[in-house]
Amino acid sequence: MSTNQITIMRKPLLRVPPGEYIVARQIIRTMKLTSLLLVLMCIQVVASTYAQNRITANFQEVSVKRLLKEVEKQSNYRFVYNNSILPDNKLVTVMVKNATLEETMKQTLKGTGLSYSVKEDGLIVIFKSGAEAQADIPVRGRVTDAQGNPLPGVSVRVQGLSIGTSTDIQGRYTLTVPDGATALEFAFIGFASQTVSLTGTSEINIALREDNRTLEEVTITGYTNYSRAQSANAASVVTSDKIGQVPMGSVDQILQGRVPGMTVIASSGQPGTSASVTIRGVNSISGSRAPLYVMDGIQIESSYFQTINPDDIASVTVLKDASAKALYGSRGSNGVIVITTKKGKSGKIQVDYKSQYGQSDLTKPGFTMMNTEQRLRFEEEVGLEIGRNIGPGWVYSPKNPSYATKSPDQQRRSDQILDSLRSINTDWRDLFFQQSQFMEQQLSASGGNENVRFYNSLNYYKQDGIAKRTGMERYNLRSNVDFSSGKFTGNVNLSLGYSSSSFTEGVESTSVGASMASVYYALPYEYPYAPDGTLIHPGNRTADILDQREGSQGLERLLNSSDKTDQFKTITGISLGYQIIPELKLTTRTGIDYRNSTDQVYINPDSYYGSRSNSNTVGGRGKFGEGSRRNFSIMSTSGLTYAKTLNSVHDFEASAFLEYVYENYRSFNYNGYGLDARLPETPAGITVSTAFLPGIGGGRTSAALLSYMGVGRYTYNEKYTITGSYRYDGSTRVAPKNRWHGFYSFGANWNAKAEDILKNLDLIPELRFRASYGSTASPFGGNFDYLPTYSVNTSYGGASAMRPAAAGNENFDWEYVNEFNTGFDIALFRQGRLRIAADYYNKITTNMFIDQPPSITSGFDVLSLSSGKMRNRGVEADIQGDIIKTKDFSWNLGLNFGYNKNEILRLTDDLNEIPDGDTRIWKVGYPLGTYYAPNWAGVNPENGDAQYYDKEGKITTVYDFDALAVTESGSLYPKLTGGFNTGVQYKSFTASALFSFVSGVKRWNNEDLYNENDRYMTSNQSIRMLEDRWKKPGDIATLQRIDIRRQFSSKDIQDASFLRLRNVTLGYSVPANVIERLKAIKGVKVFVQGQNLFTWTKWRGLDPENNNVYGRFQYPAAKTYTAGLNVNF
Amino acid sequence: MIFKSTHKYISILGVLLISLSSCKKLDDVDPTDTIDPTKAFRNVKDLDLGLLGAYAYLDYSLIGSNAIVSDEITVPDENTVSNTEAYRWLYNSGSGSVTSAFNDYYIAIDRLNRVLAAIPNVEAVGADLALKQRYQGELLALRAYSHLELLRAYASSYDNGALGVPYMKASIISYPARDRFEAVIANIKADLLEAKDLIPASFTDKTRITRTAVVAIQARTALYERNWAEAVSYATEVINAIPLASRTQFPQIWTDQSDAEVIWKLKRVGSDSRIGAFFFRETGGLVLYAPSFELINSFDQSNDIRYSSYISYSPDRGAGKSAYLVKKYIGGDATAPGRADVKLFRTAEMYLIRSEAEAELAAESASADLNALRSARIQGYASETFASKEALITAIYQERFKELAFEGHRFFDLRRRNLPVERLPEDAINAVGAVKLEPTQAQYAFPIPAREISVNRNMEQNPNY
Repeated sequence: MSTNQITIMRKPLLRVPPGEYIVARQIIRTMKLTSLLLVLMCIQVVASTYAQNRITANFQEVSVKRLLKEVEKQSNYRFVYNNSILPDNKLVTVMVKNATLEETMKQTLKGTGLSYSVKEDGLIVIFKSGAEAQADIPVRGRVTDAQGNPLPGVSVRVQGLSIGTSTDIQGRYTLTVPDGATALEFAFIGFASQTVSLTGTSEINIALREDNRTLEEVTITGYTNYSRAQSANAASVVTSDKIGQVPMGSVDQILQGRVPGMTVIASSGQPGTSASVTIRGVNSISGSRAPLYVMDGIQIESSYFQTINPDDIASVTVLKDASAKALYGSRGSNGVIVITTKKGKSGKIQVDYKSQYGQSDLTKPGFTMMNTEQRLRFEEEVGLEIGRNIGPGWVYSPKNPSYATKSPDQQRRSDQILDSLRSINTDWRDLFFQQSQFMEQQLSASGGNENVRFYNSLNYYKQDGIAKRTGMERYNLRSNVDFSSGKFTGNVNLSLGYSSSSFTEGVESTSVGASMASVYYALPYEYPYAPDGTLIHPGNRTADILDQREGSQGLERLLNSSDKTDQFKTITGISLGYQIIPELKLTTRTGIDYRNSTDQVYINPDSYYGSRSNSNTVGGRGKFGEGSRRNFSIMSTSGLTYAKTLNSVHDFEASAFLEYVYENYRSFNYNGYGLDARLPETPAGITVSTAFLPGIGGGRTSAALLSYMGVGRYTYNEKYTITGSYRYDGSTRVAPKNRWHGFYSFGANWNAKAEDILKNLDLIPELRFRASYGSTASPFGGNFDYLPTYSVNTSYGGASAMRPAAAGNENFDWEYVNEFNTGFDIALFRQGRLRIAADYYNKITTNMFIDQPPSITSGFDVLSLSSGKMRNRGVEADIQGDIIKTKDFSWNLGLNFGYNKNEILRLTDDLNEIPDGDTRIWKVGYPLGTYYAPNWAGVNPENGDAQYYDKEGKITTVYDFDALAVTESGSLYPKLTGGFNTGVQYKSFTASALFSFVSGVKRWNNEDLYNENDRYMTSNQSIRMLEDRWKKPGDIATLQRIDIRRQFSSKDIQDASFLRLRNVTLGYSVPANVIERLKAIKGVKVFVQGQNLFTWTKWRGLDPENNNVYGRFQYPAAKTYTAGLNVNF
Repeated sequence: MIFKSTHKYISILGVLLISLSSCKKLDDVDPTDTIDPTKAFRNVKDLDLGLLGAYAYLDYSLIGSNAIVSDEITVPDENTVSNTEAYRWLYNSGSGSVTSAFNDYYIAIDRLNRVLAAIPNVEAVGADLALKQRYQGELLALRAYSHLELLRAYASSYDNGALGVPYMKASIISYPARDRFEAVIANIKADLLEAKDLIPASFTDKTRITRTAVVAIQARTALYERNWAEAVSYATEVINAIPLASRTQFPQIWTDQSDAEVIWKLKRVGSDSRIGAFFFRETGGLVLYAPSFELINSFDQSNDIRYSSYISYSPDRGAGKSAYLVKKYIGGDATAPGRADVKLFRTAEMYLIRSEAEAELAAESASADLNALRSARIQGYASETFASKEALITAIYQERFKELAFEGHRFFDLRRRNLPVERLPEDAINAVGAVKLEPTQAQYAFPIPAREISVNRNMEQNPNY
């Protein structure tokens, strides 16, 4: 190689429009000097290799093109040229024998005015010699992000050509642009690509806008990072901009309505509580249903998210199909949620401050309780109708026959009593609930250079609950550092969090005195406080108190008890990589997930609640209990990855990993009694004696999983990809004889866009098809479920005693899930303004755990068998569209949904149906969660009888659950879930809204049974008991005659479908020209948000969104309004 | 994070890989919080733990359901919280109030069968051997007792050929059919005979099954078998061992200050279940079940020590509240009201068994036991003579009603002679017409639990359910 070629190399070589090249793929960049030298070294090698190619040719008067073809045939050289520069009419004569390329080309190009240059891999570029030099225009400039921070490494390219460079550490670039070029393209991962027209200016400075869509171009599985075009995975990504939009304490709740096929249902309105998350339907009846959570490659506990700061999350990838889940083998069948935290970007240090304040209000239930006037009227009516005394409204009523027997003085007294009761009308919600405050402060700093990048953040979050004395407070710290040095790369992810939650003691129960139920049980003419402020409860009530004191009892309990949990959690991981040779990389990662929860319950000994002796307050002098739960898990993954592309078309990647996960759980708790009221909420107040015998409990258990795995991918010519994986898992949770098992997957992807026919079709910028099949398993609920066990946890006459605790099953094996998935991604119109991803799946769970009730003569009420089979199949789609997209105004709209159909295919050898609790049934041919209830046939208008349909469809008034119950009331698990979102941006203003919906779901509304029941009439009742009850023949009423027993029937199984306006956000970014005047500040954004603003539902209970099988006075959901500020320094 | 050479990186990676390979192996992870069957019964002490586990499962559920469905109690207005289906005889196989005992006794039986199976594998010598034999005797007697209770509650009737209950002699997962009444009785008797030889007479802990308790169970079994001769002989054996309580001792039995005439009782301490809470709910101060007026009226209230021991009168509880309360299980501890030992066998029952058996045998001494019992309870009682066998048996029944009130007998006693349950109108105010339960009705026998019927195809339901 001569210096001559260096000269050629430095020139931009390929400046003809793409598409006219004969060889499809070649990119040449103008490079920095160091890179250039490296390339030159490569070329040296290539040249010496290709120097072996000798050419023999004997051609007279042929076209240049023909000659070049001949040379290609004889050698490994390939030519690149623009058709237009080859002279059609010029014929050349070449006569060489065993000639070098140089000799051959010299003859070939003689007199054509063309030159050539040799590139790597035998590529030869032919161009017009000397023609380009005078046309080159140097362009320089600087690329920053929206906040003005320099962006190094941004690709800058001439549109239509492959001439390009990348920005340096200050974000600067210089590029020589050939004449005729029209625009420059700027591209950088994580940012929206931008095209700027060349208008003859020699300096172009631009700011790139962050674009999370590009993050979605790679599917992060935790083991592989394949591009979407090369991946068979069905996966959905939720990015930080969407996570940051929802002000909630627990990241799983934030994901509601975002991921097609993923159902997120809250368990309580208590701040920070985790939701129930299911992906593509419930796979298991008695085993685990929760997806696996992986954060920065480390497996973390599900259901403990209140101490994780959602603002630190860059993206959440939800893996749904077998080709992705099988990588997780025995842990993967319920889906995998891969969380990636924010990383630093090289460049100037960027400091962000976010501050947010808000308040929450109670949402209203679907039923209304009686007010005082209604209640007194109701009491009178009941007295008149059946002579039953349910309160003073009848006792003192002038219509009561005893009234006539009273003296005039007594009658006046009765009238006075009723008048004074009428003057009280307590809305008990005001006494138990509050308008609560919300506050969040977040400070983060990120930055770095080419070798070290960091992201650090501090967060403080405080949310009071809408129920008095509840709330959550949290402190978080995160530090992520990425570093590289030559062949060595690594990163450290560290997070520390502390949260403190306050609950109400004994919140969710129907018993009198439970705070959430007391709100509705309490009579409206009850007022808890005497004029002097004393709380009048059943313990100090006097004879002139005419109500039941149920509200006061609940209030007294609420005010005199506390239930708190402190949680300390850290997730720490280190990963290191070493590039042994260019194709082979060694990686290892070790991570720890550690949580310590401290639970505390206190009942004031001086309170009425604490002074009564029961199992909760032994000895009747309060209770102080404390418990510690520690979860520790360590995991380590090490492996080798080999990646190579052969001949530009054969792209291989294969990895092998060894993984070990060890989990250890321990707990300890005590309950002490006989408290000294002067020492509240401390163990120091406990008395230990036989009368106040403390209780002690706790335990420890551990599990380990050892896995060997291999993953491979082959892509041909960017079009066709096949993937495969195999994982061999050994787990201590499985009975020893089934301990080891293999899991596999196969996948295929066809990137149709890369086919010639679609390549240039602007109407379809993206089109891909995928299919996969594989096996996974779901983990066991407990660590040693297969063991038959005894435990010494019972006693007789004060002496310890032993009992069999579990029947065990030596044949217990994993629950296997085999899943088929197929789907496509398509983008339509220019820039992909309409994007659709859709998938179909069919999942079969086999070997499913069934808790079969055996004959009780066996001594157990359940036998755990591995005998069930269940299917989930469905479709899901995500549709996103940019309806308007201009520089100043944009409007997008999106919809995602998942439809799932579940069916139990098999239960056990003996049984095809098994009762599931007291209102549901597992039955072959029916979905899981199917309700089992007598069908309600309405109220007989003639006599007010409650009517039911028997199994033949005939009406009966005799209630016999076992004889009447049928499976026609629907299922607990939703069929259709999803969300839709819209966003508008006009200049500096943004607005967005998210709706979530759940449909095809029935829940057991147990609140009606308490609020509309003659047995509980002495407590307050729903207004329907007054207005919509059968009173006389001919009444068409919802509720039966007052003296007919209220029974559970299909009318208690109610539609809990809902559509909820989950979030609305309005934002305003202060324009850049205003900001520039403020030194040190790069950006300011203000925003207001509303959360759970509206809910459309037919559900009559407190909140349709709740994962409990029944609606039973749970902590209700809150409406939250917040306003905040983001400042970038 | 700046390293100087690649050698350093390689050595770090090497260390990590080595640390990985030295991770705990799968075999090192063992259960720590459970006792597996190989460790459950290592020695005689463990056998006792297992035996106590069976005792621990016995409770007052049949005493409760017996009271509700019979004429012993009435439901006052203030009880707005209980499910009164059982009181109104509306129960069916899904009603836990009458079916839960079925599960409870079979779970207890399975527990003791596991211990019985372990006994041959536990080596013992000397004092330990004697203990082991005694435990075996207690286990066998407990098995017999539990099956007798199941039989009393769930047999379709107390006649030979009637549907009994499966007699479980081993812990096994199976789907057994119901044994006939007489087969269950035969098994009970066999277990009791074996038990009697294993328990030494020197063992006198009344909170467990003593040799005298075994004989008492034999006496009750004989009564249900209508084997009058055996009933007389076993009752006599018990009466000779443990005399009736004095009038001073009698009230103290119910506050657990005395265990005079108690043959076997379930000990209740600490946070154990409280039988008194079945009748009176401390929370809210509710009388759930009050003594029936039929019962109240049957006593000579001023002279009968049983009246003041069993029933209390509180006219000041307020309007709409029951003035009468069940006092029998008020318990002895003010910090744990209602927590009282559950008396399962008393000498008084033996007097009544012997009296009834002798009446059936037409023995002249038949009325002597009845009179002796009345004399012990009623101040200034003069012996009564009875005109006929029927009159005597009616009197014995009335005495059983009074003496054994709330002890889980009344409903079964009526069933022994196919008599209807009849309530006074004032006891049926909240019974919505449930005044009389005829022996022909399904509810005259408790139903087998619905779940057992649904999972065990061999299990036959009682008639008419």
